[in-house]
Amino acid sequence: MVEELGKLLSPERVLSGEAVARAYDCDAYTVDRSKPTCVVLPLDTAEVAAVVRWCVAHSVPFTPRGAGTGLSGGAMPALGGVVISTKKLNKVLQIDIENRMLKAQAGIANKRISDAVAEFGLHFAPDPSSQTVSTLGGNIAENSGGPHTLKYGVTTQHILSVTMVDPLGEVLEIGSLVPGAPGYDLLGLIVGGEGTLGVVTEAWVKLTPVPAAVRTALASFRTIRDATECVAAIIASGVIPAALEMMDKGVLRAVTAAFKLDYPAEADALLLIEVDAKPVSERNAAIPRPPDTDSDPNAVSPKRPTPNETVEKELSHVIAICNAHHAISIDMAQNEAERQKLWVARKKAIGAMGRLAPSIVTHDGVIPRSRLPEMLDFVYAVAEKHKIGVANIFHAGDGNLHPCFYFDDRDPKQVEAVIEAGEEIIKRCISLGGSVSGEHGIGVEKSDLLTLMFTPDDLRMQAMCKQIFNDGMLCNPCKVLPNQKGCVEHKKRWRGVGW
Amino acid sequence: MKSLDELTSHCIRCGFCLESCPTFVETGEETESPRGRIYLVRSADEGKIAWEETRPHLDQCLGCRACETACPSGVEYGQILEIARDRLEREHPQRAKAALLDGLSHPGKLKLQLFLGKMLPGTKIPGLLSRMLSGEAPEADKPNPQPMYSWAELDESALPPVKGEVYLLEGCVMRVLFPGVHQATRRLLRRVGYTVRETEAGCCGSLHLHVGYLDKARSYAEKLAAAMPDDLPVIVDSAGCGSTMKEYGSLEPLALSLRSLEPLALSLKGENSGLKAQGSGLSAFSKRVFDITEFLLANGLVEELAKTNLTTKITYHDACHLAHSQGVRSQPRQLLEAIPGLQIVELQEADTCCGSAGIYNLIQPKMARRLLERKWRNIEATGADLVVLGNPGCHAWIAQAAREHKSAVRVVHTAELLESAFSGLPG
Ligand SMILES: Cc1cc2nc3c(=O)[nH]c(=O)nc-3n(C[C@H](O)[C@H](O)[C@H](O)COP(=O)(O)OP(=O)(O)OC[C@H]3O[C@@H](n4cnc5c(N)ncnc54)[C@H](O)[C@@H]3O)c2cc1C
Ligand code: SF4
Ligand code: SF4
Repeated sequence: MVEELGKLLSPERVLSGEAVARAYDCDAYTVDRSKPTCVVLPLDTAEVAAVVRWCVAHSVPFTPRGAGTGLSGGAMPALGGVVISTKKLNKVLQIDIENRMLKAQAGIANKRISDAVAEFGLHFAPDPSSQTVSTLGGNIAENSGGPHTLKYGVTTQHILSVTMVDPLGEVLEIGSLVPGAPGYDLLGLIVGGEGTLGVVTEAWVKLTPVPAAVRTALASFRTIRDATECVAAIIASGVIPAALEMMDKGVLRAVTAAFKLDYPAEADALLLIEVDAKPVSERNAAIPRPPDTDSDPNAVSPKRPTPNETVEKELSHVIAICNAHHAISIDMAQNEAERQKLWVARKKAIGAMGRLAPSIVTHDGVIPRSRLPEMLDFVYAVAEKHKIGVANIFHAGDGNLHPCFYFDDRDPKQVEAVIEAGEEIIKRCISLGGSVSGEHGIGVEKSDLLTLMFTPDDLRMQAMCKQIFNDGMLCNPCKVLPNQKGCVEHKKRWRGVGW
Repeated sequence: MKSLDELTSHCIRCGFCLESCPTFVETGEETESPRGRIYLVRSADEGKIAWEETRPHLDQCLGCRACETACPSGVEYGQILEIARDRLEREHPQRAKAALLDGLSHPGKLKLQLFLGKMLPGTKIPGLLSRMLSGEAPEADKPNPQPMYSWAELDESALPPVKGEVYLLEGCVMRVLFPGVHQATRRLLRRVGYTVRETEAGCCGSLHLHVGYLDKARSYAEKLAAAMPDDLPVIVDSAGCGSTMKEYGSLEPLALSLRSLEPLALSLKGENSGLKAQGSGLSAFSKRVFDITEFLLANGLVEELAKTNLTTKITYHDACHLAHSQGVRSQPRQLLEAIPGLQIVELQEADTCCGSAGIYNLIQPKMARRLLERKWRNIEATGADLVVLGNPGCHAWIAQAAREHKSAVRVVHTAELLESAFSGLPG
């Protein structure tokens, strides 16, 4: 196999051996592991297609992989075979500033897209916390969200079209570069397809103007309940903050050790709140401006508030709500450096959990915002019952929880406890009218739980959708849909400790 | 010393370190990434793969520790690497590497080798040695010692009174190859009121530590600490040495195992206090170690620099062992910014390794070359006349790139540039 694939690509770009099999046996979800026979690093769409066709001809399973930061085991080669890594598909191919679009290969790190257009005041809006490393292809596959999803939407809102290799090795172009494309939303299926519908190799993405004014505040609360009620009140008031993130005491322990955040000792919960406003040119695109004002983007006709005024007004509104909910303190970032410090702490918070224990499993169930307080009480009770540590950090604005269990994966009992606790939490999310996953995907981790959320009809239709693209067991097998033939018996083999 | 088990268990495989790792960015291979290497070491330590499986991937690691800067979990990758390499070396020693190190870290032998080297044809280090080390053709030029500067004697009457004494680590490589840097360092120290107390101290053990000879490194450390008594500050103008000396504490076998076995440590405290005192000697020594830029900034060189002038365009390269291991990033920049007339252009990927990395460019010539070319492209894009940096390895390596590209760009140590603001750019 290695030799033949080496002929298709080049021998240096086909990796195999003990060490390679090990290094690629899981993603950031470490409970389930399975080794590939080899890993290929193609340079373009044609090479990906050649590899896929070879796999199909020889009935070898293949699994696409980006940065391997997935939290549900999506990039784990469940039935072995070939891992198709996109890490050499990492170039920006075309930038169209006028139409605010960019075309890149799928393996580019999310952040590098924004870096490429920063000088034009633009960015790629989806901002998963893993954005410095996670790839465009991975973001597309998981339909990733991030703190700014609340205002700017998830990945799917920012993808215009993709080039992909389907599970038989055919190259497809899906989507259109203009908004409002007619017909069925095929692109919507690919985004969020978790790599089971083919390998995305290139994509045109939408670029969004960087906000002209931003204010970021850190509010601390004595109880989780105060903080969650505050979140519900902010959203109910009609303001849409750019981000509304909550951290509980467990997270604060890790984050404080890593980034030295300052907050009152008696605080049990922190809210990170950001409000922003678009550049004036965006809002007033239709209104011609007098030719002589300018150079200052904030200068506008007197009737319209400047971005700064808009932001200050929203901020004072939000602060008033925080105060009404007994905030102990509210600190404003005074400059960009302070703002960045808050965001680094937030975005690296889950990564910092390694300070508390060797392994984490992070769930991302979603619930109606109004149920946040009772849900959190439940999360703590479950952790307590199973005697494992839990820390909560989440996109409070859209009710997307991230209870993060921390434990020692070398102890089989703890692994079992973590899995049970996770299932209890997800079940509760569903019974509260929520969802099993907001943004981390189903992968192998949660496939069995889908039956709790969807009706049999719904699942049957989903299986049919999958069949349009993928009628076999070769392209990223055993992911997403429950009870797939041939996967059930493998489950036991994956489960971590024996590795 | 902490155990591998303890050190590797802090990695939760989040992957945040991937894009900061030069070897991963170049290859896209997870076995050449920090996360992959840690996982392999952990697997070998747990007996799940053979130690030998980890060797090619640990060999390819630069030891630049950019991954530590990126890691939110505080994984001490530098220590993992040192212990793992030590394990590998014990199981399968590589004689060529040991001989090379022995030569480099001994000023007398290095001089002799340089002399012999001159008699051999070609500018590269001998191909035979390179192949023994790496199995690849050589990339690094033979080292070429720098001359001393012909700056005028300092005018004592114009200088502030002497406040105190410090030690200066003359080191092994620096002493022979970069005497001009030490010369600049001494003059700058005097400008803020410090003189150097001379010692015979030699190598700090850094090269040994980084490639996996822990015992050897420990004995160098103990010798060095003994040669620099009396609690004087120890000034270092080589980033690699400074980083090692600041971490001597981790070489203390007893103190560290005590930390991870706290309850036992408590009961032992009484009987073993003698041993413990010996151990904490190295930690205490570490606290006295300062990079030259840290020391100059803290002792008022900024005010002195304000009186100078130097009109040229420079860019600053962050040596890994300053930026990632010692967290020294702002100090050199603050000093440089204090020079009136100096135009400073930020370097793209300033803190990405240039590939020299101790003896890496001898052991892994191909990867070292790729990283050097990447660094050079970024340097050229700045349009600067001078590249300023604080480490001998990067100095020689980037200067080689300048020669090869027939560029007029010159490479200087931060201390040399700062002194030039007072005494004029030589040559
Ligand atoms: C600390 C941490 C924080 C995180 N924070 C967030 C967050 O805030 N929001 C969020 O949504 N997620 C978050 N994640 C999860 C993860 O980063 C995202 O799911 C991310 O999009 C995965 O990208 P990746 O490149 O690592 O993909 P991988 O993990 O390599 O793959 C993920 C899935 O995508 C498939 N895939 C990858 N590339 C392709 C391709 N080119 N074509 C087809 N399929 C492909 C794989 O088969 C797999 O099923 C976080 C993860 C970590 C470890
Ligand atoms: S950033 Fe740290 S915890 Fe995350 S994978 Fe890298 S070393 Fe491990
Ligand atoms: S030390 Fe440098 S080369 Fe080695 S793993 Fe860390 S970042 Fe990569």
